[in-house]
Amino acid sequence: MKRIGVTVGGRYVAGLQSVFTGVVRAADEAGWRVAAIRDGFDGLLFEDRYPDRSGVVDLTPRNIEALSGFSEGILGTARQTDPFRVRTVVADRRIEEQDRSDELLERLRAGGMDAVISIAGPDELALSWKLARKGLVTVCVPVAVENDVAATHLSFGFNSALTYVIDTLRRARKAARSLGRIAVVEVPGAHAGWLALQAGIAVSADAILIPEIPYDPGKIAVRLSGKESSGWPVSLVVASEGARPVDAGLEQAHAGAHVIDRAGLTAKTVTLELQRLTGHEAFPIVPGALIRGGTPTAVDCQLGTGFGAAAVRALKTGEQGVMVAFQPPDLKYVPLAEAVNRVRTVPEDSEFIQVARTMGISLGD
Amino acid sequence: MVLNIQPYSLHDGPGIRTTVFLKGCTLRCKWCCNPESIHPGQELAYNAARCIGIRECGACIAACPESAVFTIGARERVRVNWDLCTDCGNCVEACPSRALTLFGKPMTVDEVLEEVEKDGAFYGGSGGGISLSGGECLMQPDFSAALLAEARRRGINTSIETAANVPWSAVLKVLPHVDTVLHDIKLMDPLRHRKWVGVDNEVILKNLLKAYEAFPDKRFVARSPIIPGVNDTEEHVEAVLSFVKPYRNVVAFELLPYHRLGEGKYGYLGKVYALKDFTPPDPERLRKLRDLVAEAFKNREP
Repeated sequence: MKRIGVTVGGRYVAGLQSVFTGVVRAADEAGWRVAAIRDGFDGLLFEDRYPDRSGVVDLTPRNIEALSGFSEGILGTARQTDPFRVRTVVADRRIEEQDRSDELLERLRAGGMDAVISIAGPDELALSWKLARKGLVTVCVPVAVENDVAATHLSFGFNSALTYVIDTLRRARKAARSLGRIAVVEVPGAHAGWLALQAGIAVSADAILIPEIPYDPGKIAVRLSGKESSGWPVSLVVASEGARPVDAGLEQAHAGAHVIDRAGLTAKTVTLELQRLTGHEAFPIVPGALIRGGTPTAVDCQLGTGFGAAAVRALKTGEQGVMVAFQPPDLKYVPLAEAVNRVRTVPEDSEFIQVARTMGISLGD
Repeated sequence: MVLNIQPYSLHDGPGIRTTVFLKGCTLRCKWCCNPESIHPGQELAYNAARCIGIRECGACIAACPESAVFTIGARERVRVNWDLCTDCGNCVEACPSRALTLFGKPMTVDEVLEEVEKDGAFYGGSGGGISLSGGECLMQPDFSAALLAEARRRGINTSIETAANVPWSAVLKVLPHVDTVLHDIKLMDPLRHRKWVGVDNEVILKNLLKAYEAFPDKRFVARSPIIPGVNDTEEHVEAVLSFVKPYRNVVAFELLPYHRLGEGKYGYLGKVYALKDFTPPDPERLRKLRDLVAEAFKNREP
């Protein structure tokens, strides 16, 4: 009987449970067993860290139901270690980074795991690709709240994040109106502006700033002032964290891009510029990590289960080194090479951009 | 593997010295100001501000065998996928604007000394000479020993900077060729040492005690980087003082204020700097701690 491993590699998103459910149910139907590897691949590389040395948890249709809502906690919600560069203390307390990828593949074999389904964000796709090139039979499921994984129309976790951002924007606007100020809300999206753009349209924000369109603070100010003088209270600006001003020229190597937490930089910059140019008080709001938790939406529950089941189907049909992708109306399998190193950005002629312009929303250009 | 040779150093031993930075380190201090010195091999660095963009160039993308160089959408400057990069250096040769460079260069003893001797005129008058630093220069004990022995043969004063987290055999190999040993003691508490540096300090302290005893004629200088919130306390300074005090060959204990000059280099290496909110120590606080040291070393020969 075949045994497949499941591992969570991407950053935390709500409702990973549904992906596990899809995998487990489909595998059971095919007569396969499922073993969940804890904390990325740490469950195999550092067995000693786990109670009873059980870095691997068997998932069955029965216990996955009982684990409902808890499985993420037990399995971990992100990769902890890059198996190609594992920080290790060797003899004489010396620290070095070791490539333990061969050992990982060996342990997968020893554990009787013939294939691995990896729930992966953009960084982990590269990792899976490297492992696939070393011979690992693997299928990836894309997760990204920014929806920036290439080759798939939708990544798992985006819809839940979008829903939360829309709620945040509505609250921000209420607060801003009552204070008579402009709220500048920064949302995730270092390279791709989908969250800002789609949420901004949904609540008809006054301006939406995305990484794909460099913004001119002067032009935003003129548009906002124009609206205001026509008796339209201006109150809400949405900015992707990667939005940048036009005068930055060629894409700037962000000052501070290498530090852990640069959340809020964009909101602060835009807030100060608008305050200076419009004479209105403005304030920044940064929901940051809050958008990653909470309850998954119906769309994500369906998508997660579908992705999980499709990953098993891919293995059944002999696919490997692929990612499950939603290309409406189908779920397809695309080679990892097509998803790695590519970022799904908002195209210039995107429907969303046209809709925003039609609605009179300033895009900062 | 040499990282850099820096002439006119005033802080790495007596007089005006030329400091040779070797690559590779056995510790992972969270405040590290030379992140490019940690990895023992050659390593790619990317300064995006220098990239002239794919419209005019893009040579690195074609040169990379790992598909580790890429662009996003129509944006012009390239990016490096650090998960895929193997530091092979092909892109460095292709890059016309030196946006892509390699840290680390294999060099021979003669090549290093040729560089060092360019500043020979300064050494005699100032009491200076050559300093080996890192990284951890004792990670390459054979090279370090050969380099220092040859430097001495040519009449150059020698010193090393080490954290001493190495096998005792490495210490034994190199120290006979050294005039002054500058060594770090970052924290005395083993648990806190593990938290901030990555491993406990057992090997370090053992090596130091053995070295103080085995080399009574060497000058040892203990040093601590003083980092607020980590070790800017009287307890730390006093603990180090009581550790070194019984040994007359420890001639000084220097407190080096933490600085953030290394922060930008993390970006070039695609690494993350963990100490964003750390600040250099308050001058008043540093002065107080230094007074403690001065008091303890009052009656000692410099």
